[in-house]
Amino acid sequence: MEAKQARILVVEDDMDAADAAKTILEAEGYHVSTAESPAKAWEALRAQAPDLIVLDIMMPSGTEGFHFVWDLRNSEDQALRDIPIIVLSAIHEGTPLRFYPTEGDGTYAPGEYLPVQAFLDKPVEPKQLLSQIALVLKRAAPGT
Amino acid sequence: MRRISEHPIIRATDSADSGLQPEVVLSPRELAANLAWIVNLRWLAAAGVAVAVTVARWVLAIRLPVTQLYVIAAGLAAYNTVLWRITTSPRVQPSRPGLSATAIANLQISIDLFFLAGLLYFSGGVENPFVVYFVFHIVIASILLSRRATFFQTALASVIVLGLALIQIRADAPHYHLPGVVSEQEYLHPVFAYGTVFVVASTLFLTAYFATSITARLRQREAEIIGLSRSLEEKAADLSRANERLRVSERMKSEYMRRVAHELRSPLATVHQMIGLVLDGHKGEISQPARETLQRSRARVRLLMDVARDLLVLSRAREADLSRQVRDINLAEIVAALAPDLEARAQEAQVALSISVPPNLPAIAADNESIAQLVSNLATNAIKYTPAGGSVSISAQPRDGGIELSATDTGIGIPREELAHIFDEFFRAANARESGKEGTGLGLSIVKAICDSLGAELTVDSEPGRGTTFSVRFPLTRRR
Repeated sequence: MEAKQARILVVEDDMDAADAAKTILEAEGYHVSTAESPAKAWEALRAQAPDLIVLDIMMPSGTEGFHFVWDLRNSEDQALRDIPIIVLSAIHEGTPLRFYPTEGDGTYAPGEYLPVQAFLDKPVEPKQLLSQIALVLKRAAPGT
Repeated sequence: MRRISEHPIIRATDSADSGLQPEVVLSPRELAANLAWIVNLRWLAAAGVAVAVTVARWVLAIRLPVTQLYVIAAGLAAYNTVLWRITTSPRVQPSRPGLSATAIANLQISIDLFFLAGLLYFSGGVENPFVVYFVFHIVIASILLSRRATFFQTALASVIVLGLALIQIRADAPHYHLPGVVSEQEYLHPVFAYGTVFVVASTLFLTAYFATSITARLRQREAEIIGLSRSLEEKAADLSRANERLRVSERMKSEYMRRVAHELRSPLATVHQMIGLVLDGHKGEISQPARETLQRSRARVRLLMDVARDLLVLSRAREADLSRQVRDINLAEIVAALAPDLEARAQEAQVALSISVPPNLPAIAADNESIAQLVSNLATNAIKYTPAGGSVSISAQPRDGGIELSATDTGIGIPREELAHIFDEFFRAANARESGKEGTGLGLSIVKAICDSLGAELTVDSEPGRGTTFSVRFPLTRRR
């Protein structure tokens, strides 16, 4: 499968930001869908599992993005559980929390280590976003 | 031992003879403590009487009615036992209504006067030199009682002495002569007897006067000291409350600033990105003038985002102790991690950058993020305000039991009159604004906040047109 045809789900409550991300990603040839809340994201996931999720953390009712990550990682469905996630958030600036992508042995320390594949601070340059997406997709599909 | 909480009572009445100041009397609690002391003294008195009688009778061979004297001494001891039980009983509280501590004190001293009178009666009356021992009762009264009560006790003692003399002279009752002290002619002579009464009574009144005056002054001073210490305590409490309010409001301000900045930052990031989409041609071709306008718009948005970011960093630095993980850190490692970015900036600005931070410096107690922010702010500031062709050097060395980090540039410098304000929020020196360089005016405020939170000392030395040196002296990690 050509990487550029990968399906990406953008979970972002700010629809302008979601549209901007969609424009950038579609220009690179990805298939992009957007969800403005974790609930909408679950609907989209159940309809068709994406190859990658780009996730915002701060949503209207708080840090819903965190719960979404853990719910997904604890999902019964193996296919959903392993979807790579790239967190794209400005939360880094607002909290003392530190996030580390889980690489290496894959062990998680809840609360500090978020089981995601990459963390990008908003605002992100389109080039940086695209290169991270390409990298994460490449890692998620070894041998192809 | 008096505790500071046992405040004497300042009594406005009963101050007829103490001048302008109201009289200070002992508090019931304090009085009770002193009564216990009197009980102890009385044990000594009873024992002293027994010893004195014994010595007088069998060593000095004075013929005394020892039986009566021993009985009185025993009576004194028995009476003292009762008082001892009362003063140590938990059921008798000093503040208990009815028989107050003051009344007990008055009564005790009066009873003590009669005990001494009894002892004197059986040992020569006013011819016995121990008649002056009434002085001790008066001194004790002046310590324990009000001035008026002391003079009442003095009068009572004087009447008792007079009574002893009258008994002696008028022979209303048997007189127990003290042979060998005064002759029979003398003790029966009214001049001797009344003279002794006068000497003793005047001694007692003078003693009462002096002792109550001194006691009043001491109590007055004690009351002043206690009042002072109480007002100091109140002031300290006020101060600590004010401090707490300040801390809360500081935290709220910080939290507020953070929320506002965060709320601004997200939409700004979106605007920035959307302008980028247009500029990158995702929304179709645009004219050159439109492109330039959008580029300028994007630069302005970028600056606003920087302000929002710096506000967040500043608020975080100010409440750093809440979230920071302070540990031993190596300055060289942090500077090395920042070096590529700083070198790129220097190159772009055509400024020569030299970094010399020895890897073997002692550790400092801080957190990586704060130090990285501090070094980065100082270095980018130096590069920004150094014209092309100039140089910037970042160095660190041990200094005065700590580590000194310096950022020295050959830049535009800071006008002397503006030096005092450079750490103020949003302040930018006139020549910095005129330089045309964008800045948030928060970079140095952040540096200052970080230094304050780490206990580091920040100094600046600058000469306009020649350059500036910022120095930060970090304390070393304390080893225990």
